[in-house]
Amino acid sequence: MLIKILGPGCAKCNRLEQLTREAVAELGINADFEHVTQIEHIMAYPIMTTPALVVDERVKCSGRIPSKGEILGWLKV
Amino acid sequence: MDWVMTAFQGGLASLASYLAAHVLLCLVPAFFIAGGLSALVPQQSIIRYLGPNAPKWMSYPAAAGAGSLLAVCSCTVQPLFAGIYKKGAGLGPAITFLFFAPAANILALSYTGVALGADFAIARILLALSFGIGIGMIMAVLFRESDVARLADSLTFAAGESISGKVFFFLGTLVALLIAGTLKLDFLKIIVFSSSVPWGGASEVQQVLDRWVPVNEATGAEGLSLQGALLIGLLVVIGATAWRGLGKVDEGFNRLTPVTLGLVAATLVFAAMGVQVTPSGISLTVTGRSLAVIVTTLALLPQARRFEAWDVQQWLWETWRFVKMIFPLLIVGVFLVGVIRVFIQPEWIQAVAGANTLLANLAGVVFGVFMYFPTLVEVPIAKMFLSLGMHPGPLIAYLMADPELSLQSILITSAIIGKLRAWTYVGLVAIFSTLAGLTYGAWVDGTSGLTLGIVVAGFILMLSATLHLIEARRRD
Repeated sequence: MLIKILGPGCAKCNRLEQLTREAVAELGINADFEHVTQIEHIMAYPIMTTPALVVDERVKCSGRIPSKGEILGWLKV
Repeated sequence: MDWVMTAFQGGLASLASYLAAHVLLCLVPAFFIAGGLSALVPQQSIIRYLGPNAPKWMSYPAAAGAGSLLAVCSCTVQPLFAGIYKKGAGLGPAITFLFFAPAANILALSYTGVALGADFAIARILLALSFGIGIGMIMAVLFRESDVARLADSLTFAAGESISGKVFFFLGTLVALLIAGTLKLDFLKIIVFSSSVPWGGASEVQQVLDRWVPVNEATGAEGLSLQGALLIGLLVVIGATAWRGLGKVDEGFNRLTPVTLGLVAATLVFAAMGVQVTPSGISLTVTGRSLAVIVTTLALLPQARRFEAWDVQQWLWETWRFVKMIFPLLIVGVFLVGVIRVFIQPEWIQAVAGANTLLANLAGVVFGVFMYFPTLVEVPIAKMFLSLGMHPGPLIAYLMADPELSLQSILITSAIIGKLRAWTYVGLVAIFSTLAGLTYGAWVDGTSGLTLGIVVAGFILMLSATLHLIEARRRD
């Protein structure tokens, strides 16, 4: 599983990465993390606001920090 | 050694009057509103109006709305700007967004209103809105041919959830609290009830405070009242409890969360009361303002209970994040402004910008472009200039130019839209800020609102007609 965090390195983006890492550890799954900070690369995804969470190239949410429950739901599938 | 002492006292005085008088009833609710906007307002509710096919009458106001509602923090400004430019409504609205955001977000606006006066805040938002849209339109026409082919993906601008009623009312109540605490309306000054507490030590404490932070009418130093000193003490306590109570709230509510919120509410109510030191003790006055603050604060509680716990946690976490990000810089800035104030002679300022002339307004703009102050510090600086005798016109010119243009923001924009466009934008902002200053200055000097309204409306009409003509000719 490839998990990307999109965001220019603000507090919210770091918090999202931390939450997602916790969720991955909780589920005990294997996942690669990538924190995308380049604005051109971020804009390649259909989003306008950061932070965004992308799981296997699919945008799960953008512009807000989801709760850990939500993240767990996206990672389980 | 004497001047060191004077300078230090100047800094202290500026800090004391800032913390005691301006921060509480204005910035504390404003920080909570900013946190709420960032955590509770779904960004898609505005972004969906910024798609590539959105008509102009919709995309420009939406860009301005995004500027004031979504862009309270720099980590939204950059992606939103790039997004509007590259994928959505294009260069014009993107520029409007960029121009409007620093002048019209809730923190800047409420702080301007309290420190400089409501008329400055209103002038700032009106001028920023009309000129932001104007500059956006000019840029859109100037660079039409080289406008990039945009990726039209409908997914980005899909209609998401809109702002729900409960969020709307919740933020509305917070805004009401802000207004009740800050606006100088007559019915808020009515004395409802007053009583006195006998305490012989009160006047002695006040004397000590006066010695530490002397009142000086000439330099605009407001001194430090007993109430102010108590409020600063309360702020320190709030800061200590909020570190865990709000800073760790995203891991779940902890014991300190309700303590912090309770302290904040109590502090707001205390700040809204009249406290006077008399020879025999302290006289406490409950005014219309105190009641209005109590009512609005209490009205928040049942509303907050209707949100999901995660939303409330996000709201408080965001609020604290804003405080941590902005407040320390602001304190240092305010202190330094107070120190510098001691060394600037009013005659210098009055000679350069004491009257509403073209040169004076240009001076305000140039100062704004070359100085870079962190968010919100432009306000105490403007206050210092005002107390030194700067004319309100050049002051508005400075206030328009300073947050819009800094080296940092010019670099970011030129990375996204290219150097030529970025520098054209800088030039336009400089021209329009000067115009804004001249207009506001003329109004203050007594030119009737009607005349100015006609001139500004005529200018905007002429501008849009010209732009329309150019565009129509190009299409042929």
